[in-house]
Amino acid sequence: MSDDVLLRATDVVKSYSSRRRVKGLRSLNTAVNGVSLEVKRGETLGIVGESGCGKSTLARCLVQLLPVTSGHVEFNGVELTTLSRRQLRPHRRQMQLVFQDPYASLNPRRTVGDIVADPMRINKIGSDAEINARVRELFETVGLDPSALRRYPHEFSGGQRQRIGIARSLSLNPSLVVADEPVSALDVSVQAQVLNLMTDLQDEFKLTYLFIAHDLGVVRHVSDRVGVMYLGEIVELGEAELLYEKPLHPYTEALLSVVPELNDTDAPRRERIIISGDVPDPADRPTGCSFHPRCPAATDICTSEKPAFVELRPGRFVACHHPRNVDSIAPTS
Amino acid sequence: MSREDPPTNAVLSVRDLSVSFATRQGVVRAVDGLSFDVGAKEVLGIVGESGSGKSVAMYSMLGLVRDANVSISGSVRFEGREILGLSDTEMQSMRGGEVGMIFQDPMTALTPVYTVGWQIVEQLRAHSDMTKKAAYERATELLAEVGIPDPKSRVNHYPHEFSGGMRQRVVIAMALSCNPKLLIADEPTTALDVTTQAQILDLMGRLQATHGSSIVIITHDMGVIAEIAHRVVVMYAGRPAEIGPELDVVRSARHPYTWGLLGAVPRADIKTRRLVTIPGNAVSPLEVPTGCAFAPRCQYRMEICAQRPPLRGADDHLDACWLSDEQRLVIRSSATVRGES
Ligand SMILES: Nc1ncnc2c1ncn2[C@@H]1O[C@H](COP(=O)(O)OP(=O)(O)O)[C@@H](O)[C@H]1O
Ligand SMILES: Nc1ncnc2c1ncn2[C@@H]1O[C@H](COP(=O)(O)OP(=O)(O)O)[C@@H](O)[C@H]1O
Ligand code: SF4
Ligand code: SF4
Ligand SMILES: [Mg+2]
Ligand SMILES: [Mg+2]
Repeated sequence: MSDDVLLRATDVVKSYSSRRRVKGLRSLNTAVNGVSLEVKRGETLGIVGESGCGKSTLARCLVQLLPVTSGHVEFNGVELTTLSRRQLRPHRRQMQLVFQDPYASLNPRRTVGDIVADPMRINKIGSDAEINARVRELFETVGLDPSALRRYPHEFSGGQRQRIGIARSLSLNPSLVVADEPVSALDVSVQAQVLNLMTDLQDEFKLTYLFIAHDLGVVRHVSDRVGVMYLGEIVELGEAELLYEKPLHPYTEALLSVVPELNDTDAPRRERIIISGDVPDPADRPTGCSFHPRCPAATDICTSEKPAFVELRPGRFVACHHPRNVDSIAPTS
Repeated sequence: MSREDPPTNAVLSVRDLSVSFATRQGVVRAVDGLSFDVGAKEVLGIVGESGSGKSVAMYSMLGLVRDANVSISGSVRFEGREILGLSDTEMQSMRGGEVGMIFQDPMTALTPVYTVGWQIVEQLRAHSDMTKKAAYERATELLAEVGIPDPKSRVNHYPHEFSGGMRQRVVIAMALSCNPKLLIADEPTTALDVTTQAQILDLMGRLQATHGSSIVIITHDMGVIAEIAHRVVVMYAGRPAEIGPELDVVRSARHPYTWGLLGAVPRADIKTRRLVTIPGNAVSPLEVPTGCAFAPRCQYRMEICAQRPPLRGADDHLDACWLSDEQRLVIRSSATVRGES
């Protein structure tokens, strides 16, 4: 694996057994359906998609919190899916998660100082005094007053709790931080504070981020590259600015066209493409292209043949028989 | 606009609405001096972060605050008639009749144990003398109008058999059933994905055009305001910070809080550099300063800000801030504020 790739996923599949029956048969909910991606050292790879498309499941599979049904995950060149729990431990330390809900993800019965110290204690890193000093330092790093160490999570606002979650995630000096909707529960002014903090921390500690969110603006803002998920699949992946300006996949194009815009410039608004209907049940996946029942560009081939995920232009991956905007993108970089 | 004499064509006219709750921790001033008008066929947006008093304002206007420790003052006129203090029965006949309501969670308006058709029929019959058969036919038409596929069969389905977006359509059908003059929607798309949100906003826009209802839409998302509202009220700590035509507020915001709110939004349509942040957290409703509510977080705070700024301005663009026009010009020409054209 080339040296600049920190994490590589190949054909990752994760199915949950579904209690529902589809067409009379006990069905499998394939929440992640063959995802391949690379996260490069020092970058932010954003994953965006609507609720239920499999973002959280993918995140948990990548950091080995959930066993994959099939496929491979390599981290620093090491295949993780075949390792035992003990063999995994040193790698897991390198990958930390930040969760969406700053209320549910912090143990209400422990002080916030202990919450940040626990990963170091569990991994027996340093003496008590060293750990204490490190906790104070982490508090300052994320913009919290170290004098609040002995307080409990409920005494903090949502934004402050998210800072505590971030401090905890940094305590073991990880190389990869997987943030699953880290700002979705926050008001916009607090969201901006946390996003700016995450940007600063990335520069300071040379972190690599896998940043998951459903908010297209948030993802464009933080990401170097972006993957767009639909029904458990990455349908498009590419450099963030190019992808937002000239989306290849009809789903990406439609998504971007309906994000409410502020109209604060005279630039014409993107033509809105309103796709009808609802996302299908992942336990009853459409034939061919998963997006075909809702796709304005679908033709016969889309209902029968699943489009391959290919690098259509340098660094621009897409799974579609009839990609958009191709003519306006140079074939070589 | 003169705040004393509401325009004669105002469908809804709110003056100095204040709502507070006596709690064990003290008095919560949830809404404090809110005034605005909604004209015929106008879409008014109310925007603010959580806790700014948007929902309490709406619920108190409609007689839906059930808390014994609430005190409500001010005036709310619907088509010229004072509605604050109407009896429960009078309010009930207004809600779901001349005034339709849409909530963030569609299940607030629906009952799980009855079919959606039954619920629309009940609503229709409560506000008119339609026969059951005619009401069922009308219910089916309404479901078709809000874009529910196969309405003839869906009318007999229960709410749980619909997706979140489809359920919100059912609620919209119900709200429209009696041809309301006014629709009040509290975060109608907040729980929905962006493609579903687009469907619902599109639907609301089309229905507003065909039915000619006025709409009050409450949201925390400036983008939603920009998509659908003609005018906007920006709320902070229960008070109006700024009121004006949507385009004026988005392009030439006057209040420092609005500057912050606009600059904090990471954009999908353009590349955003560092986000503007408002320091600190929203003020606790138990400790709203007697002067400008935004003062503890405002980088332009002056001595006079210890007094409460009046809502004032030119024409129909008002703000509650002591900054002079000259000061605003200087501030807005500096690079730290986005949100102007
Ligand atoms: N623990 C679970 N058991 C069964 N199904 C699950 C579980 N977690 C998620 N799912 C299903 O997997 C799909 C993807 O869910 P999720 O990964 O949470 O999506 P997202 O994070 O994009 O909203 C959904 O259909 C969801 O219902
Ligand atoms: N019944 C109540 N008793 C005491 N405080 C309340 C009550 N209802 C709402 N509040 C408070 O009033 C403020 C405004 O709430 P709300 O209108 O729901 O805000 P928004 O809808 O803008 O998020 C909040 O601080 C809230 O905690
Ligand atoms: S493969 Fe066909 S159905 Fe799928 S996104 Fe492309 S055009 Fe649409
Ligand atoms: S009145 Fe003063 S404190 Fe309040 S927003 Fe204006 S400048 Fe800031
Ligand atoms: Mg998720
Ligand atoms: Mg509310």
